[in-house]
This record gives sequence, structure tokens and C-alpha cells, in this order.
Amino acid sequence: MAASMRTAGAALWSKAVRDFDSKAAAAAAARPGVPPLPLQHSALTRSSVYMVPAVFLHTGRVRQTQTSRSITVIEEPDTLFQKLTVLVKGHDKAVLDSYEFFASMTAKELGLTLAKVSEPPKNIERLTLLKSVHIFKKHRVQYEMRTHFRCIEISKVTGSTAQVYLEYIQRNLPEGMAMEVTKTAIEKVPEHIRTPLWGDQSQAEKTSQ
Amino acid sequence: MAASFSSQRRLLTTLCSQLNGALWLNSGVRSIHSTAVCNKNRAARIRVGKGDRPMTYEEALPPHQIAHRKGWLSHHTSNLNGEHGTADRTVEDAFIRRFIYGTFHRCLANELVIKRRGNMLIISALMFQKMPPRKYYFFIGYTEELLSHFYKCPVKMEIQTVEEKVVYKYL
Repeated sequence: MAASMRTAGAALWSKAVRDFDSKAAAAAAARPGVPPLPLQHSALTRSSVYMVPAVFLHTGRVRQTQTSRSITVIEEPDTLFQKLTVLVKGHDKAVLDSYEFFASMTAKELGLTLAKVSEPPKNIERLTLLKSVHIFKKHRVQYEMRTHFRCIEISKVTGSTAQVYLEYIQRNLPEGMAMEVTKTAIEKVPEHIRTPLWGDQSQAEKTSQ
Repeated sequence: MAASFSSQRRLLTTLCSQLNGALWLNSGVRSIHSTAVCNKNRAARIRVGKGDRPMTYEEALPPHQIAHRKGWLSHHTSNLNGEHGTADRTVEDAFIRRFIYGTFHRCLANELVIKRRGNMLIISALMFQKMPPRKYYFFIGYTEELLSHFYKCPVKMEIQTVEEKVVYKYL
């Protein structure tokens, strides 16, 4: 069962790669955090471009792996996660919005259950500094740094699926955004706690009596 | 007795008024009252002039428009809540900007955009078509090689060239 889970994970990865090649391009083009490709004629530039852009294209696409040959089957059971929490932090709310759309779309396509997609309140760190180099204590300047958050919670995933999902999400994380992942694993009850002690004790008393 | 009392009292009152009241109220001297001057903010703001100075979008908008009408010039995670390495990234950015400003002499059309994706350092620049493309390629390769050895991480440059300055406004 564990082996089949592992192969299922790898098969999902290949399917994801095939399906997402086109979708990633669309998602990448839609996200505002991605830099403009050199050949695109943006609204600002009016003239032709000298440079050959192929050298400088970094689209961040995932290359198609030859899945039929590289599926590894391992005997040990796969870890099970009750909850997988992805907290994304950024300065730009628009980029966070589009990344949330991307991550939730990925989860839906992979068949994962999105338990919760929430927006924790933003954090503003303010600094009040003196405006002048020398005296003038009454005149100050204030700066602030805003951090916006997004929390995506996925429930009941296997270890390999979580690995696939997280790797895909993290490869496409825009610059200027930080991610924190929290996993809650489910483990088997240890052997020595399985049966209650009082059952053995009463038997011991009866035998002694 | 009464007369002496009243005269004493008059003397007293005049003395008191002179002591209590301000000297200049009575003597008729005026002086300037001033506090320290609070100057207007001048950081990264270009003051309106005759209308002959071409400005790019980046230059024309003041810094309080960042995150409203402007974007950021350097993208990294160090300024987020609970992240480390702010000063290091800032110093690196300052060095990279000066380095590229010096390497591509008078070729930069706009400010550099520096992005950090994972391990990579990506420098996006908008340049004028001043030099032949072969020179550009050489300088890009030289920059990438030198900076990647210096910062011990892969450095990539993404350049877009433009014929002349992209003007947004004349100030």
C-alpha cells in the first residue's frame, strides 16, 4: 500500500508537470512579480530591441521528467500528514493574491483538500527617526514596513504528495516573498501504550491470590 | 500719615508693575519670536521647474507613492516580519548598483531592479543602445562572472535596450 502510494505520488508529479507546463506559463505571465521578458514590447518602450533574448530567458518552468523510468518504489510506509500549513509573507498584496490563486489552483488540480485559505492581519513595523543630522529633536521622519500574510491549509495528505506539492509551490515562489511550512504528522501509537496497564495488574493480582 | 502711606503705596505699585510685567511691554522694545524651521521633505523628489526636463516614471514619482503607484527596485525577503539579513542585502544592493553604474558608463536608462530568487541574484536593467551588442555581451558576462565569484551565488543579468530615454513627464 505504501509502495503504491509512492508510485501514485510520482505519477501525480508527472501528470502535474504535463498539465502545468501550459498553465504555469499562463500563471507566470499573469503574476505581477515576474520580470518582463526582454522581447516583449511593453507600453513604455517604443523601439526595436537589439539583444537576442534566448540567453536571458529565465521563466522558471519545470522541465518534463521521463517518469516511466524514474519511479522509485520504497518498502517503508509513507508519512501521513493531518495538516499542511503554508504561510506566505510579502510586501505586495497583489503578488500575494495571485500566488494564493496559483497555490489553490495547484491543490485543486492535484486533488488535495483545501481546508482553509485565510488572510491573517497585516503587520506594520514603524520607525520614527530624527529628520536632521544634527539637532532639531522636534522634527522627525517616520518610516514603515508592511508585511502581508496568506495562510493556505491543506488537510490529509501523504508525505510524497506533500513533497510534490511543496516542491512545485516553492520553485515558483516569486522574489520578495517568504514561505513558512508547518506539517502536522500522524504517527502510530507506540507498542507499550497500546494495551492499558490495569488489565495486566488485575490478572497479576488474581494469579497471586 | 495717610499721604505718606499713599505715596509709598504708589511707589510700591509702580515697582511691582515694572518687576512683574515684561520689560519690553513697558519699555517699548520689540524682538522676533522664532522656533526651529521645519523644512519640507526633499528626498527623491524632483521639484517642478520650467517643463523642459524629461523625467522617467521612476524619477517623477516621489517615494511616498511606493506600493501605490510605484513598485520596488529591490526584491528580497529580509525586510519582512521575522526575517534576517536586512543590512547585508542592503549593502549588497548598494554595491551592485554602483558597480553596474560604473561598468555600463552612461548606458543605464533607468534604475536597476535587483531580485533574489532562492540562491540566485537577478539584475534587470534598461539600457541605451550606446555600444555595439558585442560589447554589451562582454560586459554582461564580465559582470555575472565577477559578481558570482564575489557573492558566491549565481548572478544573472537581464537587459532590455531602448533607443532613448523613456519619458513620462516633463518637469
